[in-house]
Amino acid sequence: MKRRAYKLLVVALGLALLGGLLWLPPPGQPGGPVHEHVAARYVEGGTEAAGAPNLTTAVLLNYRGLDTFGEVTVIFAALLAALAVLGVGAAARNASGTGKPRVDARLPASPVVNFIIRLMAPFMATFAAFVMIQGDVLPGGGFQGGVVLGAMMILLSVAIGPDRVSGMVAPAPLGWLRAIAPLVFLVVAVSGLALSGAWFGLSDQPALGHALMVVLELAIGMGGAAVITGIYLSLAREVE
Amino acid sequence: MLQALFSHIDYVAVTVLFCAGLYIMIARGNLLKKVIGLNIMETAVFAFIVTTGMIDGGDPPLLEQGLGPDFASPLPHALVLTGIVVAVSVTAVALALIVRVKREHGTIEFDELGEPR
Amino acid sequence: MIEAFNPVVLFDLLILVLLIICVISIARTRDLVRAAILFSVYSLTLCLLWVHRGAPDVAMTEAAVGAGVTVALFLVVIARVGRRER
Repeated sequence: MKRRAYKLLVVALGLALLGGLLWLPPPGQPGGPVHEHVAARYVEGGTEAAGAPNLTTAVLLNYRGLDTFGEVTVIFAALLAALAVLGVGAAARNASGTGKPRVDARLPASPVVNFIIRLMAPFMATFAAFVMIQGDVLPGGGFQGGVVLGAMMILLSVAIGPDRVSGMVAPAPLGWLRAIAPLVFLVVAVSGLALSGAWFGLSDQPALGHALMVVLELAIGMGGAAVITGIYLSLAREVE
Repeated sequence: MLQALFSHIDYVAVTVLFCAGLYIMIARGNLLKKVIGLNIMETAVFAFIVTTGMIDGGDPPLLEQGLGPDFASPLPHALVLTGIVVAVSVTAVALALIVRVKREHGTIEFDELGEPR
Repeated sequence: MIEAFNPVVLFDLLILVLLIICVISIARTRDLVRAAILFSVYSLTLCLLWVHRGAPDVAMTEAAVGAGVTVALFLVVIARVGRRER
């Protein structure tokens, strides 16, 4: 009875949405309003103004740098919220569970899984670094490389255990490593005032602007990888 | 009417996905299923945003030799990249809250959670 | 309507139909591990859709985030809370 009411409500909402969407111009035509005003300026003047042949990275880091700053702050805040909810360190160990002795979270993974993960991990790290550094010429960029690196750390924690992975970086530098993306963004934003006269303005000389873009991408990548690994480890060390 | 429906077939599919995600979120009692439904709704919205920027037979927005004059618009791509990051952040916080609810109350079914004590 | 049946449009329709089948299967299953794996399949098909729409950056991010990190987080939480849904 309640299921039927929910289904009717969802179908009614779907028909209302569809009635609105059919008024839009059909997708795929080059003359639509999304290609006209601002995007046309980005496509035509993109490379000279922003210094990056990859237009998406140019939009993300140069034209809409403030939105990317908000994005890295959001994912860092998510890590803080997850740690606050679950408890860190001794608080987590005391609070979790019903008093049973804490079993090692890693089930004995089969030797095939262990071997494949240990074989693939260096290649994944190299690919992540390549995607991060070449992000302004080829498709890719900072966050893509960072997520691939974070996925590699998750796989490693399946193979060698979450305690060993979280012991790879000492706790004091780990805090700075997780916060590196918002901090570097803030430094580049303030230095943009000195270099080109506008907040977030990567400088007018193309070489310095290119170098600043690579620095930003590396910061986003490393910060994203550290945050994703931190979220996974805080959940994985809860399992008993 | 039918011609309009067929030329906007991408928008119809996105609407079906969004409504299916919404149904999963409101009609199932398990908290983890609700989080999966939320993710489906979010990805349906991203599909809509990228679809508005595409060009039939166009090229990805990279300025290299060999890629023609018709570029897919880069603005929706940047918007969706930020959206994907926000979606994974929301999912991470929701999963941490689910683990905490299980620890405190012993169940994650919405009907069994009861009144706050 | 008849003139639109070339292979590109058929590929597009096939991807969209696969997405809808994945979502309906997620709605009907009661096993949470099966729902997580189906969500990974959904995310990978969505990555194919991005490549078809000319968005390679979004495709890379969706493949790594949706099919990798999100499903890994789901499976870790399922190990904590239990597999069946009532």
